Amino acid sequence: MPDQPAPPKPPPPQAPAPQPGAAPALVNLVIDGRPVQAKPGTNLIEAANLVGIDIPFYCYHRRLSIAANCRMCLVEVSNAPKLVPACQTPVSEGLKVTTNSPKVMDSHRSVEELLLYNHPVDCAICDQAGECKLQDYYMQYDHRPYRPAQAKLLRHKRKEIGPLVVLDQERCILCTRCVRFMREVAQAPQLGVFGRGNREYIDIFPGQPLDNKYAGNTIDICPVGALLSRDNRFKARAFFLSETPSICAGCARGCNTFLDHYDGVAYRYRPRENDAVNQAWMCDDGRLTYHRLVDDRQTRALAGRVGSGQPRPVDEVVAAAAEKLRPLAGQTGLAVLVSPQLSVEDLLAVALLAREGLSATTIYEGGFADGDQDDLLLRADKNPNRLGLRWVAAAFGLELRPFDAFLEAVDEGQVKALFAAGTEVPKEPSFVAGVLGTLELIVTQAQSFGPLVGVSDFCLPAAPHSECDGSFVNFQGRVQRFQRAYPPREEAQPHWRLAEGFLKSLGFAHRWPTARDLFRELSPRVPDLASFDWDELGPGGRPAPGLAARPAAADARPPGYRERVVTPPWQVKAARTDRPAAQDGGDGAPRAAEPPRDPPPGVGR
Amino acid sequence: MSDAPKPPPKAPAPVAYKAPELRPETLPERAFVPELLRGLAVSTSHFLRNLLFSRDPSPDVLHRRGPNLVSTVQYPEEVAPYPPGYRGMHRLVPRPDGNPRCVACYMCATICPAQCIYIEAGEYPQDPIEKFPRRFEIDELRCIVCGLCVEACPKDAIRMDTGTHCKPTYDRPTIVYGIDRLLKGPAVSHRTDVWFKREGSDPPADGHGHPIPPLPGEGKS
Amino acid sequence: MARLFRMLLLGVLIVLGLCAWAWLGYLAVNWLGGVTLGWGWGATLGQAVAAIVFIQLLFVMIVATLLTLAERKWSAAMQDRIGPNRARLPGLGRFSLGGIPHVLADALKMISKEDFLPSQSNRVLYHLAPVLNFAPIFCLFAIVPMGPPVPIRHGFAVLVATLQIANPDVGLLYVFAIASLAVYGVSLAGWASGNKLALLGGVRASSQMIAYEVALGLGLVGMMMTAGTLRLDQMVQTQSQGLFGLSWLPAWGIFVQPLGFLLFFAAAFAETKRTPFDLPEGESEIIGYFVEYSGMKFGMFMIAEFVEIVTLAAIVTAVFLGGWHLSPAIDGGLASFAAVLVRWRFGFAEPTGVLLTLAVMQTAIFAVKVLVLCWLQLAIRWTFPRFRYDQIQYLGWRILLPLGLANVFATGVCLLLDPSLSLLGAVGLAEIGVGIAALLWSGAKSTQPAPAPAHVGSH
Repeated sequence: MPDQPAPPKPPPPQAPAPQPGAAPALVNLVIDGRPVQAKPGTNLIEAANLVGIDIPFYCYHRRLSIAANCRMCLVEVSNAPKLVPACQTPVSEGLKVTTNSPKVMDSHRSVEELLLYNHPVDCAICDQAGECKLQDYYMQYDHRPYRPAQAKLLRHKRKEIGPLVVLDQERCILCTRCVRFMREVAQAPQLGVFGRGNREYIDIFPGQPLDNKYAGNTIDICPVGALLSRDNRFKARAFFLSETPSICAGCARGCNTFLDHYDGVAYRYRPRENDAVNQAWMCDDGRLTYHRLVDDRQTRALAGRVGSGQPRPVDEVVAAAAEKLRPLAGQTGLAVLVSPQLSVEDLLAVALLAREGLSATTIYEGGFADGDQDDLLLRADKNPNRLGLRWVAAAFGLELRPFDAFLEAVDEGQVKALFAAGTEVPKEPSFVAGVLGTLELIVTQAQSFGPLVGVSDFCLPAAPHSECDGSFVNFQGRVQRFQRAYPPREEAQPHWRLAEGFLKSLGFAHRWPTARDLFRELSPRVPDLASFDWDELGPGGRPAPGLAARPAAADARPPGYRERVVTPPWQVKAARTDRPAAQDGGDGAPRAAEPPRDPPPGVGR
Repeated sequence: MSDAPKPPPKAPAPVAYKAPELRPETLPERAFVPELLRGLAVSTSHFLRNLLFSRDPSPDVLHRRGPNLVSTVQYPEEVAPYPPGYRGMHRLVPRPDGNPRCVACYMCATICPAQCIYIEAGEYPQDPIEKFPRRFEIDELRCIVCGLCVEACPKDAIRMDTGTHCKPTYDRPTIVYGIDRLLKGPAVSHRTDVWFKREGSDPPADGHGHPIPPLPGEGKS
Repeated sequence: MARLFRMLLLGVLIVLGLCAWAWLGYLAVNWLGGVTLGWGWGATLGQAVAAIVFIQLLFVMIVATLLTLAERKWSAAMQDRIGPNRARLPGLGRFSLGGIPHVLADALKMISKEDFLPSQSNRVLYHLAPVLNFAPIFCLFAIVPMGPPVPIRHGFAVLVATLQIANPDVGLLYVFAIASLAVYGVSLAGWASGNKLALLGGVRASSQMIAYEVALGLGLVGMMMTAGTLRLDQMVQTQSQGLFGLSWLPAWGIFVQPLGFLLFFAAAFAETKRTPFDLPEGESEIIGYFVEYSGMKFGMFMIAEFVEIVTLAAIVTAVFLGGWHLSPAIDGGLASFAAVLVRWRFGFAEPTGVLLTLAVMQTAIFAVKVLVLCWLQLAIRWTFPRFRYDQIQYLGWRILLPLGLANVFATGVCLLLDPSLSLLGAVGLAEIGVGIAALLWSGAKSTQPAPAPAHVGSH
C-alpha cells in the first residue's frame, strides 16, 4: 500500500535463536524471507505487518470476527498445498510464507477481477473514490481491462437505509464487515445478507431502518463505496481532504478522531484507534458534532446589545469590555460562567482571568445538558472537558457552582454582570437569554451564534478546538491532546488568546505566544496536570517540539495529504502518566511482540 | 591529465547555414548621404502608399491585396481566422435532455494546473446519475487552456472544440463562467451511459417484494 | 481610390485654410498697425502684436501640436501600421478624426499627471529649466518672414503690412544668438535633476549642441555671402530671380548652395536632438536629461522639440527654398491670377487688392513648404538609425566643419569671379549632379543580388 512507510532494513534472513527466559513463548516464522517473531495465535496479516509487509484484504478487521470470504488475502504457506487465507491462518513455528509469488499475485488478480465483475465502476460519482480499497488494489494487482462482454448485474443504486447511511448495492463486494459490526460491536443486527450466489446482496430488514447509534461506523469500515454517509454526501472528494488528529467534543468520552478538512472547512470526523478510550469506533451523535465547527460560527467581535451588535476589531472590543469589567472586579455582582467545552489551555487562561483579573472566588459551570448514555461509548455528560474544568477550578481556588445556582443568583438579583467563556448552557438558550436580559453587562466569548450572543453587550469570536492546539480531559481523567487543523476563521481567536487580551487590558503582564507556552506556565499550578507532558503527547513525538513541530494543513501541505501515523506516540507515552485511569492498556509486554497499536490508515476501516 | 592523448583532429562539422560574406563598402556607401537618401526613399514610398490608398480590410493578413501595405488587424472589428488546429475554449457537453453530462467528480478540478475550476456537487433525487454539478465555474482569467481537464474527464463532459476564445471584458466577475455560459454545443451520448443501461430512474422503495431488475441480456419470462 | 480622393481633398482644404489664415493675418496686421499708429505709438508695435498672434500662436503652436500626432500617424504609415485611432470624441460615434482626439487625450494626460520633484534636485533650476529650454526656441521664429510685404494706404500714411514679427538688421545672427541659449535649458535640466544619469544626458546634449553650432553658422555663411545680407526678407528677395536668366529655374539657396543647405540642415537637425542625433534623450535605452521630468514639464521639453522642427523648417524655407517664391515664371502667373481674381471680384484691378491677394497665395506657399519640410524631418527621424557618440563628434568636427570652411572659400571665389549668381549656380548644380550620380551608382551597386548563402547539404 502506498501509505505504508518504508520497511525497516531487513535483518539477515534467518530466524533468531529463541531467547531462553522470555516469558511468553514466541513463534518464529519467515515471511517473504524475513524472520518474524509473533505471539501464538497471531494471524498472518498481523504478523506480516510487523515487518512491514502488506497483505491485501477486504473482509478482515482487527476488531471483528474473521469471515475470510473475500479471498483477497490468499498467500502461499509451506505447510499447505493450496493458498490459504492469511487472515484466518495463525502463525506456526517454522512456517514459511510467501506473499509475492506469481501464484499469489495471480490469485490477487483473479479475486480483483471477480469483485469487479458486477461492480459499476462509477468512481466519478462515488464518495469513496480516493480512499477505496477496490481502487487501490486494482491499480496494484490487477490493472487490466474488463473482459466480460455480458452486461453487469443491476441492483439498488441508492437506498437510504438509515438516518446517516445510504447503501449502494451495486458497489458492494459482500465482505460483510458491516453485518459483523452491527452484530458483534453494536449488538444490533440490523443488516443482513440476502439472496444467493451471484444475486447476493446486503440489505436491512423490512421496516427496520439502520438507526443504531453506531451505524455510522459501517461507513468507515466499508472498504468500498457501498455504505456512505448521507451527511456529507457529495460535499467533498476524499482525495482533497487532509486529516488532523483531533478529539470528539460530543461527550465526556473524548473519542480519538481524525478531523478531515479542506481549505479551512471541516467535513467529517473519523474514529482514530485508541484501545483505552474508543477502540476504533465512535457514535453517530459525535460524528455529527463537526457541524459545530462549521455552521453558525460567530467570527466577528460585536459590541452592542440585542442584535444591534456591530462588527468591530477584536482588540477594540476586548479593551472596551475590559474597561466595563474593571470597576466590577472583586464584587459579588460579577458572575463568571465557564463552559466545559473549553480546552484545558483555555480553562487555565480563563481561570487566571477570573481569579486575578476579575478577583472572583466563584465560577459557574456552563456546558450542554446531560443526555443518553450507554455501555459502549456514549456518556451522559455531553461536554468533553468537565473534569478538566473541575481540576483547574480547584487549583485556582475557585469555587465551582452548578448552573442552577447561577440562575437562582440571577433570580435573586445578586448578579449584575456576567462574563461567559463559552455560551453553551444546559437550559434552553432562549430561556436563559431571557433571564439574563435584565443584567447590566454581559460579556461573552462565543464560537457560534445563539440567543446569548444576541443579549451580549460585548461578544468575542472564539475558535473551537479544530482551530487551535490544546487538550481535553475525558471522564476517565485522561488528558488527550488535539491539534490545530486549520487557522481560525476570520477574526476568531482561541479562548485563551481572548483571555490574554482581557488580562492585558486589565494591566497584567501575561504573554503566551502559543498554547504550549501557556500550558508550560500555568499547568504547574494544577496538580492533576503535573504528570502530563504537553509536548510528548503532542506533535507526533518529535524530539524537539516547537511552535509548529508538525505542519498544520495551512502550512503548504498539498490538499489531501494524509499524516502517516503508524504508532501514535501520544498513545504509547500515555502510559507514563501515573494516573491509573490513564493507563493505556500497557501491561509491560514487549512491544515488538505485539501488533502495532495503530495500523496504517485504511487498514482499520 | 596533460598526458592524456589528444583527440584526433576532427573533420569540420557540417553546418546547415553559412553566413554570407560581407562585401567591402563602396565609396557612395561610405559617403553615407546617398545611402541616407535611398533609405528615405523607402520610407517615403511606404508612407505614400499607406497614406493615399485604402487598406484591404480582409482579416487574413497574408492575403491582403492592393498598394496599401498596412498589415494591422483592427481587432475586434476584424478578427483573424484561427489556424485549423486551434481547439478553442472549453464547453460543458450537454446530454440529450439538456443537462450537463458532468457528474461533478472533480477530476478536472484536481488536475487543473491553474486551479481555475470550482465545482459544487448536488444530488439528483430521481436520476440514475445521482450527482450533478450545482455550480461549475471556470475562471477564464486563470485558465491556461492546457486541455488537461478534457483529458481527465471520465464522462466526456468537457470538451475543447468551440474554436472560439474567451471574450475580453471590463468586469472581472463576468469572466468567471458558470454552467449557463459553459453549457453549449451539440448533445452527446455514448452506449456506456447510465441511462442506456438502466430504464427507470426511480429505484424501488425497499428491496423486498420487488424483483431485482433482470440483466439486459437475459430473457424476460 | 476613395482614400486617394479624400487625401487630395484634405490637401486642398489645408491649402485653402492656410490662405484664409494668411488673409486674416494680413488684415489683422494692417488693422492693429493702424490702431497703434492712431494712438501715436507707431505702427510697428501693432503689427508685431498681430503677427505674434497669427504666426506664433495660430501657426507655430498649432502645427507643433499637430506634429505630435503626425509623428505617430506618419511613422505608422512608414512602418505599415495604422497608428493611434482609438480615442473618440463623445457624440461622434465611430469616427476617429484621424486620431486628432489623441492630441486632446495627450494634453489631458500631461496636465493631470503628477508633477514630480526629485528629492535631490535643485528646486529653482529644476523648475526653470523647461522654460529656459522652451523660450529661446519659441523666440526663434520672430525673424522668419512668412509673407511678402504689402504696402497699404492708411489715410495719409502708407503702412507696409507683412507677416513677420521683427525684422532686425542682424537677421540670422539673431538665430545664432538665441539658438545657442537653448543649451542652458538642456544642461540645467540635466544638472538640476540631481540624477547622475540625467546629468550625463545633459553633458552629452551640451557637447553635441556646441559641436554643431559651428557647422550651423558656417552653413549659413555661404548664403549670407550670396545674398549679401543678413536679413531674411532680403534673402528671399534674392532667391526670387531666375538662375542663368531662366525664368523656370529659380536661384534658390538649395541650387546655388547645396552644400550649405546640407550642412545647415544636418547641423540644425542635430540641434533638435532627434534621431539620428538623439543621444541626449535616448528615451528607451540611454537615459536622457529630462528623465526626472513628468507631466507638463516634460511636455514643455517635448513641445519645444516640435516647435524647433517648425522653426527649422521655416528658416530653411526662407534661406534655401526661396521663401514664398516658386520661380519667376510661376510668380508671374500667380500675379496674373491674383489680378484676375480681384477684377472678377471688384470689377477692376485694384493694386492693393492684387498685391494682397498675391501675398496671401505666397504665404500659403511658404506654409506648405514649411509643412513639407516638417514631414521630411519626421521621415528622417523614422528612417535613420542613431549615430554612435564618437560618430557624432566625428561628423561635427571633422566632416561638417571642414566642408563648411571649404564651402565658404569656394563661394567667395565664385562670387569674386562672377558677381552674378551664374557661376555659383553652375557649381551648385554640378554638386547636385555629382550627388545624384553617386546615388544612382550606389543604388546600382547594392541592388545587385547578394551572394547566395552557401548551404552544406548535410541533411
